[in-house]
Amino acid sequence: MDRRSFLKATAYAASLASLPGIAFSARAADSKILRMGYGSDVLTLDPIKTVYGSDIIIQGMMFARLLQANADRSEVGPGLAEKWDISEDGKTYTFYLRDAKFSDGSPITAEDVAFSYTRMRFQKDSAYAAPFQPLKEAKAKDAKTVVFTLDRRFTPFLTLTEIWNTGIVPKAAVEKMGDDAYAKAPVTSGPFKFVEWKPGDRVVLARNEHYYKEGLPHLDGLEFRYVADDNTRVSMLQAGEIDVCIGYPVARQPELKAAGFRADADISSVTYDMLINHSKAPFDNLKFRQAISHGIDRQAIADAVTLGSGRPATSIFSPELNFFDKSLPLIQRDVEKAKGLLADSGVADPSFELLVSAGIADDEKTAVLVQAQLAEIGITVTVSKIDSTSVWTRLIDGDYQAELNWWYNETRDPDNALRWCAWGAGDNKSYYTRYNNEEVNKLIDEAAGETDDAKRGALYAQIQKICVDEVAQVAMFHPNWLNGYSPKVKDLILNIGLQFSEIDQTDLV
Amino acid sequence: MDRFAFLLKRPIQLIPVLLGISLITFVLIQLTPGDPVRIMLGPKASEDAIAFVRARYGLDQPILVQYFYFLLNAIRGDFGQSIIYRSPVGPVILDRMAPTLFLILYGLALSVAFTLGLAIAAARSRGRWVDQFVRLVCVSSVGIPSYFMGLMLILGLCLKLKLFPVSGYAPTLIDNLYHLFLPALTIAIGVTPILTRNLRATFLQQMDADYATAGRSKGLPERYIFGRHVFWNSLLPTVNLMGVVVSFLIGGTVVIENVFNIPGLGQALIRAVLTRDYFVVQAVTLVLACGIVITNFIVDVVTVVLDPRVKL
Repeated sequence: MDRRSFLKATAYAASLASLPGIAFSARAADSKILRMGYGSDVLTLDPIKTVYGSDIIIQGMMFARLLQANADRSEVGPGLAEKWDISEDGKTYTFYLRDAKFSDGSPITAEDVAFSYTRMRFQKDSAYAAPFQPLKEAKAKDAKTVVFTLDRRFTPFLTLTEIWNTGIVPKAAVEKMGDDAYAKAPVTSGPFKFVEWKPGDRVVLARNEHYYKEGLPHLDGLEFRYVADDNTRVSMLQAGEIDVCIGYPVARQPELKAAGFRADADISSVTYDMLINHSKAPFDNLKFRQAISHGIDRQAIADAVTLGSGRPATSIFSPELNFFDKSLPLIQRDVEKAKGLLADSGVADPSFELLVSAGIADDEKTAVLVQAQLAEIGITVTVSKIDSTSVWTRLIDGDYQAELNWWYNETRDPDNALRWCAWGAGDNKSYYTRYNNEEVNKLIDEAAGETDDAKRGALYAQIQKICVDEVAQVAMFHPNWLNGYSPKVKDLILNIGLQFSEIDQTDLV
Repeated sequence: MDRFAFLLKRPIQLIPVLLGISLITFVLIQLTPGDPVRIMLGPKASEDAIAFVRARYGLDQPILVQYFYFLLNAIRGDFGQSIIYRSPVGPVILDRMAPTLFLILYGLALSVAFTLGLAIAAARSRGRWVDQFVRLVCVSSVGIPSYFMGLMLILGLCLKLKLFPVSGYAPTLIDNLYHLFLPALTIAIGVTPILTRNLRATFLQQMDADYATAGRSKGLPERYIFGRHVFWNSLLPTVNLMGVVVSFLIGGTVVIENVFNIPGLGQALIRAVLTRDYFVVQAVTLVLACGIVITNFIVDVVTVVLDPRVKL
């Protein structure tokens, strides 16, 4: 071959290869593989080590729990446990398991359940053992009966048996493989089994033929892809390269809706707020905190940041949680009142630094609004944009004055939420605000031990009122999850607790 | 000394360079506030759990002790564990090298093709409309950020015309020529104007050189003078410039990999820095540094081949 014909051949090959319109890695027409894109990478497939959104979402697809929440998470019903008893004193929970198998075909026994709970509660590097502190022991009574003993009466326990880190894992496989290897290729108990995990790229799951629900799931498999850039993720949804776009910039909503995608926000239990450091001036001053609370316009901020889909906050936790106190009024912006409170506070230099995680558009937008609104009542806000890991470190170390943040609750029971954001006795010091009110701590414990709903409701109302009056955090609004779905995806919503709890019934048409 | 003796000397010179880079990276990332164990275990972890995991990764030791152990292990070919993924760094990095390498080479191949075409066309028609047009294109495209260019290409060619996929890296070569065309084009659009202006200027300079005039006076056709002499004599400055451009590109793929969602080294580096995944940052930085050193080495070799007078 001479040079000229070689060049010709090369050019010809190159133009053939880049021929547009050939979808090389398209989904095979007859297979039902659901492809999801998410902006956070999967870090572990072990339920007890899971803390991040990506991992939490994927746990729900791989592991079954004792109980299962319905799609709107309004109630929990049977899961791996067909029924359960609670002892008179509220300290012993007995669960009766149905016949079910792991993805390797081995039976799910009470021994596996006891193992999973013991591991989650007592293993040193278990990431989220905190809500399960009252659990003293988990024991198999016989092959199908498991008994939990608590050290005190603890009503929220039942709903906790459906959150992600209580996914049932096989004792034999975990012990044989060891923790690290198991976390990379787990044997599962839920609707899908593990196929492949490429860190920083994707997790591939396939239908688990041994899943305990006859005939489910409808899907053949699932691809969970890490797509870091928000706009790229939206483009991929538009181009049909993914079917579900988890989390998108709110500004893209009208465009997605106009193009026929289901982009109606899924309801969340998120509270978006300004965390304030109660151990630092000027936030150690009650009147100053109240001045801020009256100086911001929650409705305006919610409208601007969520394009109207979010609700302004009246309490410190979400209206989606049980015992949310509907009678609490929305604190309206009142410049004169705020100025009066500020004068009463006696703070000589009414200014503070507001930390914002760089690159998060909502936070940056909110910071500007807060800054402008507080300037009108005479408070100077300096916005500092730094990377999220540094923000995080400063929160934990208490080296901050105020910071924009959000958190959500896994269940509808408010105990978790309050222990997270207002219980000063906890490891996280009321979500690092250092808010510590002995009375609130006591009321939270009391409410958790109460079985009568009416009495619990009264206690939670009291707690919410104190937290709002004392401005434990500056709760601003409750946004929804912003997910985009292709019209092909049927019966899939993200519930308030960040789980696609009906993924086993989801279909592609 | 033999013209190619530097081939042997270079790897030895590389050792102190890499040592210096690794020490600086190690100290810098460790001094940046933020703790990878907190990131890994998340906001809900207890202090006990955090202390336990820190000790397991040796992160409770002083920085220099940690660096010493890092070096010791690196010599044995073990670059440590990714704290965030809880797995050895080696395979994590290796998986990600191929997409980045492919992307850079593909981008360069397109750039070279465009540059040669444009520069030759411009130089051969000096002052006429083709030349003016090429110069206009170069001036107007040189300042466009690759992030913006990438998004525009996605919008136009993927979403409107549906010619190319938005994302991805595929398992086979042919697939990738298609999948990575837009990211490579984005690179080429960034690089081509720089190279074209340089090459065109050199062409013009060489076309005015005495030897070209001598050739013309002997009645040699313009085509022959250009193809035989001017072209080859003009390549050297552009090859050297290309070395610099590639060094920038190695860092610049970070943006392009994010926009087109390519699971390469750039994405890994960003993530590792944000999560303070010390050993991954360390390993990726070393790989990228090696990439730059190797590029310079290749440029040196090409220079020697192109110009027999050069000694290194």
